[in-house]
Amino acid sequence: MSLVLDNLVKRFGATTALDGISFSVEQGQVFGFLGPNGAGKTTTMRIILDILRPDGGTATWNGTPTTHVPRNTWGYLPEERGLYPRLEVLEQLVFFASLYGIPRREAAARARDWLARFRIPNYERRRAEELSKGNQQKVQLIAAILHEPEVVIMDEPFAGLDPVNVSLLKEAFDEMRQRGTTLIFSTHQMEMVEELCEAVAIIDHGKLVLGGPIRDVKRSSGRRVVRLGVEGDWDLPWLSELEGVTVIRPGQDHVELNVAPGHDPQEVLNAAIARGERVTQFLIADPSIEQVFIERIGRPPSEEGHLAQAGSPSAEATG
Amino acid sequence: MSPSRRSTLRNIVAVARREFVFRGRTRTFRWTTAFLVVVGVALALSPVIIRFFEQGGPGERIEVVVGSSEPTVDVTATLNVLLNASATGSPDANASPDFRVESTTDLDAARTRASDGSTSAVLALSRTGDGDLAFTLYSKDGPLARSSLVIRQAASSIAIQDRLNRAGIPAIDQARLFAPAEFVMEQADPGAPAGAASVEALAGTFAISFALSILLFMAIILYGQWVAFSVAEEKNSRVMEVVLAAATPFQLLSGKVVGVGGLAIVQYVIVLVPSVIAILLQGQIATLVFGGNAGVDLPSGISIGLLGVFGVMFVLGFALYSVLYAGAASLVSRQEDVNQIVAPLTLVSVGGYLVATYSSTGLIPIDSPLVVIMSFIPFFSPYLMLSRLGQGAATPLEVVAAILILVAFIPVALWIAARLYRSGVLLYGQRPTPRTLYRALRGQ
Repeated sequence: MSLVLDNLVKRFGATTALDGISFSVEQGQVFGFLGPNGAGKTTTMRIILDILRPDGGTATWNGTPTTHVPRNTWGYLPEERGLYPRLEVLEQLVFFASLYGIPRREAAARARDWLARFRIPNYERRRAEELSKGNQQKVQLIAAILHEPEVVIMDEPFAGLDPVNVSLLKEAFDEMRQRGTTLIFSTHQMEMVEELCEAVAIIDHGKLVLGGPIRDVKRSSGRRVVRLGVEGDWDLPWLSELEGVTVIRPGQDHVELNVAPGHDPQEVLNAAIARGERVTQFLIADPSIEQVFIERIGRPPSEEGHLAQAGSPSAEATG
Repeated sequence: MSPSRRSTLRNIVAVARREFVFRGRTRTFRWTTAFLVVVGVALALSPVIIRFFEQGGPGERIEVVVGSSEPTVDVTATLNVLLNASATGSPDANASPDFRVESTTDLDAARTRASDGSTSAVLALSRTGDGDLAFTLYSKDGPLARSSLVIRQAASSIAIQDRLNRAGIPAIDQARLFAPAEFVMEQADPGAPAGAASVEALAGTFAISFALSILLFMAIILYGQWVAFSVAEEKNSRVMEVVLAAATPFQLLSGKVVGVGGLAIVQYVIVLVPSVIAILLQGQIATLVFGGNAGVDLPSGISIGLLGVFGVMFVLGFALYSVLYAGAASLVSRQEDVNQIVAPLTLVSVGGYLVATYSSTGLIPIDSPLVVIMSFIPFFSPYLMLSRLGQGAATPLEVVAAILILVAFIPVALWIAARLYRSGVLLYGQRPTPRTLYRALRGQ
């Protein structure tokens, strides 16, 4: 029981959007779909949903080509949010649900329920154009899940939400996951991935860079991260003398170190004790998804969140 | 029914329902419908309305100055009869006259009245050297104004009567001299019923096929554009992608055409029913307003069969054009660009309409090969088969053939439109070029 993408190719004129992407998502998984802007995430999602047809390769759900899978298998939250501007919220939701075969009365009841759960119960008679962006997004998400699809595909579900709504959405994720719904979403917020995802796929330039269960992905580089805290002076010049060890993040309380593949993180502890330091913290961990991402892609997941290099003419170009 | 068939039908119904309900609920729709009802009834009653306003006035005053010409005819009385007869087509005792002819002697005073507007025109008589009557018309109207023309015509008649009187021909013979000749027209086909080609019958069929062409053309253009705008609106609000995830382009397009088409038919019926009732009751209304038979007749040439074919052509023609309108509209990102992108289709439609009206009015012979061939081509057949049928120039078999070709072509149009739609709706900010069109059709 899984979604399998096999060697998907999609070209738009001279541009190759997907260049042989393959990965699979197990049923019931929460799956993170990562990559810089323009990597091909949206195109892949559109192919799964049969909005676009690939030029090569196949997408199957439990062995059936996605072109033949009933559309109510999927729920979709697109990146470009779209509602009928002049239609009332409840009517929109009932319309979308009716496209998936939910009777109107049933759809209205479910919609009211969800609106209440997302804490916008009194918005059902409002027209979409009167809603704030965050609330439109909640309505849009309800539209995607009202028919209780087996798989919910979301393009940047957290973008533009305030912290309160982010936690509402996370709770909704949790509920759906407990019901066995497969959740696939793209995001630039790596802490969300760490918190929610069981598996990820990282793509760039239409190719799969890395994919699999999140633990495997984190350990794929072979390097480990060590957090070391000692009493007194936090400036530890001797660390740079250790072979295979680099400081990632110096700090008052502790430093974060990268230990290259083939080196034992235990050596750091031994070296500290040998130098007479009193160790207050010592922790061996996998690198964060963000670190893996930067390492493999060569730039942070969301460049918008970082200053462009000063004077760099290509600073504005995004992938 | 297989599950996928059922979901196809379900989605078409859901999309159609939304289009129908929400478009029908808009204020724009209600106001245009109300406006069209008023216009339709006014047009239907226009003969009565025109008569009503004409009878309200006292008519134009024409003053006649005989002077020393000593005509052998009672100029004032004759002019009165001639002018009012030519104005209404038949002398009618009940209708108030268009012209009041009065006799006067003071030419200068009459000219003053004509120039200040209290009199419409002054007609002065004199004699030429060889004894014929000569006329001078003093009027603020130009020589080509309707009143000037009818007065000129009447003056000639009076001059001829005057000559005949002076030649000594008795009045009774004069009436026979002026009587029109008997002139009957019949169909060339010996099997055709007698009287089928009479002037009245022909004028009736011309008017009917002309009117039906106009109605069909307006419906196809107007309602086809509704579909086009609806597509552009969805694309503009980006709701398209959500809908496309739930329904196939085929389902969406079909649903749109059915929904908008249904609403179009509803509006059409709402507008047409009062108009048709007004036409049917025209005689009674005229009697009520004017008393007696006011000379307002029903148009002849309408038959149930013709109206049935009109209905079928309306539905099929609309389906064909609106499906393609939708496909074309999906290629543009903004509503402002919709008219531009559907313009070629509109031109094709205008072409069919023009040939249909030209053949209805006789500018192009109804049996010319151009008309006959075009009456089978899907884009033109709704217009042309209708006008051929309206004028009795098409056999029932030909009509059925044209309808079947049209029915067979609609799925092709739907396929083309769905292809355009699938690739068009996700294109933003790109100018549609012939190359993008070609690629879209190839499904890239």
